[in-house]
Amino acid sequence: MSWVEVDHLSVKAGAATLLSDVTLSIEAGTWCTIIGPNGAGKTTLVEAVAGLRRVASGSVQIAGQAIGDLNERERARLVSLVPQHPQVPAGMTVRDYVALGRVAYHGVLRAPNAGDHQVVESVLERLSLESFAQRDVATLSGGERQRMVLARALAQSTMVIVLDEPTTGLDLRHQMELLELLKTEVADCGLTIIATLHDLTLAGQFADRLVLLDQGVVVVDGPARDVVRSRELSEHYGMNLRVIDVDGSDVIVPVRH
Amino acid sequence: MTGVTVVGLVVAMVCGLVVGPTSIGTWRVVGDVFSHVGIGHSTLTGLQSTIIWQLRAPRMVLGLLAGAMLAVAGGTYQGVFRNPLADPYLLGVAAGAGLGATIAIVDVGSGVSTPTWTPLLAFGGAMIAVACTWLIGGKGLRSNAATLILAGVAVSALLTSAQTFLQQQSSANSITHVYLWLLGSLASADWQSVLLVVPYVAVCTFVCVLSGRALDAMSVGEDESRSLGVRVSQVRLIVIAASSLGTAAIVSAVGLIGFVGIIVPHIVRLLVGTSYRRILPISVIFGAAFLVFCDTIARTVMAPSELPLGVVTAVIGAPVFVVILSLRRGSVR
Repeated sequence: MSWVEVDHLSVKAGAATLLSDVTLSIEAGTWCTIIGPNGAGKTTLVEAVAGLRRVASGSVQIAGQAIGDLNERERARLVSLVPQHPQVPAGMTVRDYVALGRVAYHGVLRAPNAGDHQVVESVLERLSLESFAQRDVATLSGGERQRMVLARALAQSTMVIVLDEPTTGLDLRHQMELLELLKTEVADCGLTIIATLHDLTLAGQFADRLVLLDQGVVVVDGPARDVVRSRELSEHYGMNLRVIDVDGSDVIVPVRH
Repeated sequence: MTGVTVVGLVVAMVCGLVVGPTSIGTWRVVGDVFSHVGIGHSTLTGLQSTIIWQLRAPRMVLGLLAGAMLAVAGGTYQGVFRNPLADPYLLGVAAGAGLGATIAIVDVGSGVSTPTWTPLLAFGGAMIAVACTWLIGGKGLRSNAATLILAGVAVSALLTSAQTFLQQQSSANSITHVYLWLLGSLASADWQSVLLVVPYVAVCTFVCVLSGRALDAMSVGEDESRSLGVRVSQVRLIVIAASSLGTAAIVSAVGLIGFVGIIVPHIVRLLVGTSYRRILPISVIFGAAFLVFCDTIARTVMAPSELPLGVVTAVIGAPVFVVILSLRRGSVR
């Protein structure tokens, strides 16, 4: 079943066109990663799916509901966001930060109820965050912080999560850990993931489907294994890329001319 | 911390009633207060009762209302704009009220001063200024917080220049009156002025305190809080309207009292943490106590003349803030 429908979507910023006539249909339980060079429109696309961008034309539908017709609370129950540079309010505890994911359910005037607390505690446990639930968010390391931001998104209990470069600033081990964690959530809960990633190897290894975007246009869209081997990948990155098979996994390496 | 603040408030209220040029014993004043609720008998003379209930009590109550409103408005502005330098006058309330009051006080053309209009024109000026800021800043709905702040700066600059021009055209006597008004004072407080501002302060303070949870959610930035389900534009509109309306009402009654709106929320933040659910209600109590305490000093230190209240709030508030800041830094290390 198609869960996320991006239909002829165009986004503009003044005279500049950031996305042009993008159409995607993403099945439930799919991990779809958007790749492309800098300025391709990856962040704009995921922000538009999250309902944070005004669209010039076209639409985004999640579970049959047009995102543009929903208010913030309705939208936040359908799709959650892990931004590239999350703002971390110093002084807030990890538990309170994760609990922000429940605002869409209890609203800003009421306190969270027992059900909300239960969801938060469950997410903290799943992501091994209980031991520092009372710590100030400003004291966390980069890896812990990204896990906490993912926990907030999971606390939103949405079936779709969009992630904009979630591994930014993390070392290799923490990148792998975070993506494995996400993969487990996809498998266990049937989540639909739309993520942007710069690392093509990680993109190819974790995603079911890759969408290559360049200058706001979808260039190639298909199974990850096919897209990483496509001629267009090297063309649009403007460099010579090779795919090496290591124990059945694709590793994409740039080759110097 | 709430308990300590409430004790401080009670002490400030007692000081506000007891301390003054006419010495009336503390327990006699307290006994008189209790006699009004049917407990015991008052031992005050008629003159002493008049001093307490017609001079000191309305002044103390107006001080409570002004301190509470300015502190909670400052706290909500700092939250909604995510700007530690925000105060209740950020969007032009002070400049608008200043121009309104100046128009009322100075001799414009006819040479007749109209000080009785001062509160009305100050209130109107403040509300018009905020409305202009809101409209210029893209109604705050589609624009971001920074645009609104810049619009506030522009509107304030324009209105302040108009006020300066009017002052330059007026007599020295008028300029003195304007200057005294700008410094803020509770000297003209009476029960009528208390009754005029009570509804505004009650409703606006309630709305501001209620916004704490929304402001906590907005501490992750506009886009992120929208993705969490916060209706940022509506929250911003409601919070700004409540803060500005309450502040305008207070300013029209007591003039421009500086420092309370910026320093009290910061002191409270250092004491209770960064959650607006705690900062705002405690700012209400702390601000009320702080201003009554400062006013008691302002009217007694150089009696029978009074110190400008804004000077006292700064002289008391700044060192307190520095001490708490250094203690907090010490504990963090």
